[in-house]
Amino acid sequence: MADVIFSDVQKRFGSFVAVQNLNLDIRQGEFVSLLGPSGCGKTTTLRMLAGLEFPTSGEIRIGERVVNDVAPGDRDIAMVFQSYALYPHMSVGQNIAYPLKKRRVPKAERARMVARTAEMLQLTALLDRKPKQLSGGQQQRVALGRALVRDPKVFLLDEPLSNLDAKLRGYMRAELVELHQRLGRTMVYVTHDQLEAMTMSDRIAIMEGGALQQFAPPQEVYRAPANRFVAGFIGTPGMNLIDGALARDGNTWRFEAPALQLEARGLGPDARPGEACLGIRPEALTLGSGALRGVVQLVEQTGHENIVVLRVGEDLRLTGRAPGHTIWKPGETIPFAIDADAAHYFAAGPAGARLNARRSGPHESGDAISITNNMREAHQ
Amino acid sequence: MAHTKQTLLERRYSLLGLLLIAPTVLVFCAVIVYPLISAIYLSLFSIYTPTLDGEWVGLQNYATLLAKGEFWYSLRTNLIWTVGTLSLQIVFGIGMALVLHQNIWFRSLARSLILFPYFISTVVAVLVWKWLFNDLYGILNHLMMGAGLIEFPIDYLGSMPNAMVSVILVGAWKYFPFVVIAVLARLQTIPGQLYEAARIDGAGPIARFFDVTLPQLREVLVVIVMLRAIWDFKEFDLIFLLTGGGPVTSTQTLPLLVYKEAFSLNQMGMATAYAVIMMLIMLVFMVLYIRRTRTEDGL
Ligand SMILES: Nc1ncnc2c1ncn2[C@@H]1O[C@H](COP(=O)(O)OP(=O)(O)OP(=O)(O)O)[C@@H](O)[C@H]1O
Ligand SMILES: [Mg+2]
Repeated sequence: MADVIFSDVQKRFGSFVAVQNLNLDIRQGEFVSLLGPSGCGKTTTLRMLAGLEFPTSGEIRIGERVVNDVAPGDRDIAMVFQSYALYPHMSVGQNIAYPLKKRRVPKAERARMVARTAEMLQLTALLDRKPKQLSGGQQQRVALGRALVRDPKVFLLDEPLSNLDAKLRGYMRAELVELHQRLGRTMVYVTHDQLEAMTMSDRIAIMEGGALQQFAPPQEVYRAPANRFVAGFIGTPGMNLIDGALARDGNTWRFEAPALQLEARGLGPDARPGEACLGIRPEALTLGSGALRGVVQLVEQTGHENIVVLRVGEDLRLTGRAPGHTIWKPGETIPFAIDADAAHYFAAGPAGARLNARRSGPHESGDAISITNNMREAHQ
Repeated sequence: MAHTKQTLLERRYSLLGLLLIAPTVLVFCAVIVYPLISAIYLSLFSIYTPTLDGEWVGLQNYATLLAKGEFWYSLRTNLIWTVGTLSLQIVFGIGMALVLHQNIWFRSLARSLILFPYFISTVVAVLVWKWLFNDLYGILNHLMMGAGLIEFPIDYLGSMPNAMVSVILVGAWKYFPFVVIAVLARLQTIPGQLYEAARIDGAGPIARFFDVTLPQLREVLVVIVMLRAIWDFKEFDLIFLLTGGGPVTSTQTLPLLVYKEAFSLNQMGMATAYAVIMMLIMLVFMVLYIRRTRTEDGL
């Protein structure tokens, strides 16, 4: 059942289009991340859902209700701000109780609910402190508490972890996931950190320039990026994107670039001969053996593995991964191979659509865990 | 070795520190401590103002003034004036600051216009107000009679309680821009997300004012009240020019009484005794006030 629906929502600031024709359909209890580079319209989208910003056109629904004209306080949502926005003159307890007080919850009941929330977030010992007297992580939990206490239908979180240090962020990520599982509430989570989005979400909405690029579960976003932008945005190190052309010879397709030729497999019905883009994840390159040759440009040692940048032909750069014990030096020529079955094809242009056939082959299914593991390592 | 070197350096620093604050201390002594002490000293004499001849009377001046009804009456008048005009300044000041904080098209023009009463010289302002208030040819009476609000001209300055109300209103008009500017500066630093959080928490505009705005204004209001209370308490020219303390002594605040003692009755010693008492009263109020606001803040 759908819980939050954006239909053809557009938001303009003057003549600038911050969000264009957004269609999103978030299921009840789902954890959805809005992910994208800075300025792509994530916060604007979330604020429209919160009622802090009005859509220029289109319709937003929460549950059965169209909420375009509903005040933020009546939307049955709660929001956690990036800066936490705790009321500085109120104690932790008063902060958490505030939304209840404004909804005229009787005092005794209020105290009970605050106590329960505080216990859940381990804030009981801090209830009498002022926000100033708390650490960043504790403030973060108070902000969560203020959102949790009234058990709203939808939680909105705008980069809630971005002010925390790396370790605490990892910890809070796990806390949030657990909280989501326990409460079973719909959560919409804005982040520009793909690791957060990949590890926490049921589905990720990837945005760029105010437009939705793909809305899919993490593994699908990784294994079958809908277009060239998503392909380049998701994954660290990023996918190798090579401009070239597709050529057809009877029933077989070839991809041809100045430095590279490849038999193109698994193309879908949208494939046309002509300009196209080849995408290869670093792990789809086999380094050390194969028919192709490349010159090692750069080796980044992360301990567990080495990220190797190869120069192929004149000016093609390819990034690959190799186990940590490999000892190639810059300048060395090494053999490598490309897994043609793992290649992605996109139409020409910065947001060229995916040309691969839809299928559930060995590279498009599989568990999300190995992906996020890869990403986590790359992140550190 | 390093130890002695450091103490030498430290000594040099503290000497430099002394040198740097010395001018301030000297000026402070010359313009504040000396007049203060000499005022207290003078208040122990009976002095004839024109010749400044006097004889030692000890605490006699204080005994006289504390026994005089006029002192207590003026103190009461002074408090009514101060509390009245200060509360109006605060209320109008905050109100106007809230209006000017909105995104209205004439905002920057209004922000400069609002300072006008504060800039304008008291003499000029009072003259204009006296014309407006005049019971024979004042425009206020003319307009109100024209509108049928009143049948006969009102004597704004020559009868009570009108005179006190008028003085308080003119005082509020003259000094509320100070409150506007100070509050406006603070309003601009309140994080917008606090208001958004409050809206999501279900707070309406009035709740947002009392739960977000006002607590954030607290600190600046403490300072404003303190400064304005001191200034209003010893306000002289505005009241003196507007009513001269009249009718009879109905608007005669302590500063006017000091003036009267010193230059009409030529009792300089008595006048300084009043001034010293005024200072003590303000001191007591300020100490209480600072104590209270501090314990309320108490963390
Ligand atoms: N009030 C506003 N007036 C004009 N333009 C705005 C306003 N708010 C946002 N924008 C513009 O809309 C675009 C999207 O802004 P938004 O805050 O949604 O980005 P974002 O995806 O949250 O970015 P970030 O990751 O940096 O927070 C930006 O280009 C921004 O400059
Ligand atoms: Mg943002």
